[in-house]
Amino acid sequence: MDNAKKWQIPIFITFLLLGILLSVQFRTQQNFLGDLSLQKSDDLVLMLKKLHDKRGELEKGLRELEQQQRSLQADVNARETLAESLKNESEQLKMALGLTPVRGPGITITITTESPMVYLDLVDIINELWASQAEAIAINDQRITPWTSIYWNKTNLTLTINGKEILYPCTIKAIGNQDKLESGLRLLGGILDDLAIYKVYPVIKRVEEIELPAAPPPTLNYLQKSAS
Amino acid sequence: MWLPLLGLLIGIGIGSALAVPIPGIYVKYLSVAVLAALDSAFGGIKAILEEKFDGTILLTGFFTNALLAALLAYLGDRLGVDLYLAAVFVFGVRLFQNLAFIRRELFAAWLRKRRFSSAGGEKNG
Repeated sequence: MDNAKKWQIPIFITFLLLGILLSVQFRTQQNFLGDLSLQKSDDLVLMLKKLHDKRGELEKGLRELEQQQRSLQADVNARETLAESLKNESEQLKMALGLTPVRGPGITITITTESPMVYLDLVDIINELWASQAEAIAINDQRITPWTSIYWNKTNLTLTINGKEILYPCTIKAIGNQDKLESGLRLLGGILDDLAIYKVYPVIKRVEEIELPAAPPPTLNYLQKSAS
Repeated sequence: MWLPLLGLLIGIGIGSALAVPIPGIYVKYLSVAVLAALDSAFGGIKAILEEKFDGTILLTGFFTNALLAALLAYLGDRLGVDLYLAAVFVFGVRLFQNLAFIRRELFAAWLRKRRFSSAGGEKNG
């Protein structure tokens, strides 16, 4: 037993140190194995080949994805162009139909109180303006649209447009080519000559910027697109 | 009897907790030193079994063997001779010899013990 006591402490110390050394070496070796510079060249070549192959695959995938992105982008562009052109078309149609306020150069025709005229004359003037390629017309800020009614109320003896009474002096505003519009009205034997017989002398003025209001929208309850 | 194992476990625990970073170029020398330390430790156990144990010799042997092995490996690298292979060979052979001796001794002790206990449970110091 005396003998036993003599060896206990040195053996314990020795194995303690051995344990420390072992664990340190073990961990260091683990890190060491991960270090590329100490790998065998055969392994490195294999690794390189594998990585090269993988890179090729990934590049191929990248190309495919880029292709996909391009086609999607083209799709999106086409859609955007389509949407844009549809929007433009819709804007133009709305302007032509009188659903949006418009402005542009044109002429005004003013009929004063002293020169009364029947509503048919008004219709004649509007027809003449349309024939002279007017793009938008309004009478006393009532926009003329395909569903505008010009009506002579016999009981009240008043002229109504779209059910609204028109009071004199009445002003017809038309947007379009000023020369064409004016010459259309002043045509020899045209509307102004006709009116002159009845001593009606409308005043025609050229205006560089006319603003016309929008008309109320039409009702579309029964309309359907015909199959053609 | 369980002291070496206990010491080993505590040492591993300390080593893991300390997390000493060893630069890559010293790993080879450290491995040789570890081999030398292993040899010394098993040599110590062998000495106990032979009843020739001396704590001073064990501890000095432990340190000098480890350091010398590392130094020799380093020197070998400087000189372009793979001296660390010699250290690995020598310590490896000795390690196996020590282990074989320990195995034989323990087996013999176990056999003796069984023979005595079957003979009538006599106690032997």
